[in-house]
Amino acid sequence: MSMNRKINLRVWLKIPDAEAATVKNTLIRRLGFGNVLDDVKKERLFSIEVDSGDPEELAKSFAKELVNENKESHIVLIDELKFEEDYVPVKVALHIEDGEAISIRERLRSRLGFENVVDVKKATVWKLYFNTLKPEAQIKAGEIAERLLINPHKDSYEIMI
Amino acid sequence: MKIAVLQFPGTNCEFETLVAVKAVGMEGEIFRWNRPAGELSGFDGFVIPGGFSYQDRLRAGVIASKEPVMSALKEEAGIGKPIIGICNGFQILVETGLLPGSIEKSSGNVDMALAQNVMVSQGKIVRRGYYCDWVNLRHEAPSKRCSGSFAIERGALLKIPIAHGEGNLVTTTPGLMKKLNDEGQVVFRYCDKNGRIIDEFPFNVNGSTESIAAICNEPGNVLGMMPHPERAFFAWQLPAFDPRKQRPDEPGPGRRVFESMKRYIEVNA
Repeated sequence: MSMNRKINLRVWLKIPDAEAATVKNTLIRRLGFGNVLDDVKKERLFSIEVDSGDPEELAKSFAKELVNENKESHIVLIDELKFEEDYVPVKVALHIEDGEAISIRERLRSRLGFENVVDVKKATVWKLYFNTLKPEAQIKAGEIAERLLINPHKDSYEIMI
Repeated sequence: MKIAVLQFPGTNCEFETLVAVKAVGMEGEIFRWNRPAGELSGFDGFVIPGGFSYQDRLRAGVIASKEPVMSALKEEAGIGKPIIGICNGFQILVETGLLPGSIEKSSGNVDMALAQNVMVSQGKIVRRGYYCDWVNLRHEAPSKRCSGSFAIERGALLKIPIAHGEGNLVTTTPGLMKKLNDEGQVVFRYCDKNGRIIDEFPFNVNGSTESIAAICNEPGNVLGMMPHPERAFFAWQLPAFDPRKQRPDEPGPGRRVFESMKRYIEVNA
């Protein structure tokens, strides 16, 4: 039985996020979601699997490498991934090989000496704030993912509710 | 014969592209993305130049692909007008569904992606990400198959530069690669200086499936290519190691793409 632990780092900009603003504008002004969508925010998600060590302490070290505290904030979740209730979180990740995630894994393992890092996965979580109730909001979130957030030939998505 | 060179926020090759358009004897002007889209109908052909439209936010080309000007461009494609997308322009055409899909497709399906570069050599990934270099291209389609290579013979070799981080053609659409090959929609492949296709870095510069550098749509009027022909339009633009650079009055290899577009319009007018 695997004793591996998973450290999830949710990272977001504390300065204005131009990319999220552009996505919001495109959804409202170009794709017709203005009647249901109130806001769009974005987070980066790093899921780092380790096979030893104190995950709380490791998370602090990883955050120093992966989070720029001058412009970003983050929270750590160990062996769980949960989101707030007031938005629909849509996780978008590459289903083809993710070179950046591999580079992060190698950086942590080989250059920074965290040999207990087994795997790194990276995703973007789009936080979609709707003015409709959950069932409809989830349907709309799926539409938004398929019409804008992903290119299905390289990305996949998951509604995290 | 009037060509619109489309400009989105973040486009950065529009001026040299316009120079190339005019240098082969066509008229042209830069067409800003927020002009009334209906004005596109007054043009005979279109070039979407390279750059980083909308700062590549979300993924390269996708935000521009949702602009009204692209819906109007689809209509122009539907009546057979030539469109050439270069680098980011290619990415925009893919996200719009104009490439590789047939123009009859109204659903806007996206049949492929230009994913992040992955450079592979001898089975190992040796490099990733943005890459800028001169590459050799082999023209794969028969002449007259495609607007942007209308006057180029099959098998011709062109040395043209690339500069991109997302040019790796991938698809999960069943049968698409066979269709592209069978129907002559593969226009250029990366190759070595002798025209041999060697499907690994540094010849295949971005990991693109089957070393594909350019494709056209089924009717052939829409071409998307990752290399930048406008940056190899004059011989003086060629790299120092190319002897043609010493003969600056000669045309560069990229000129043939723009000459092709002109010839295509002349023949199809």
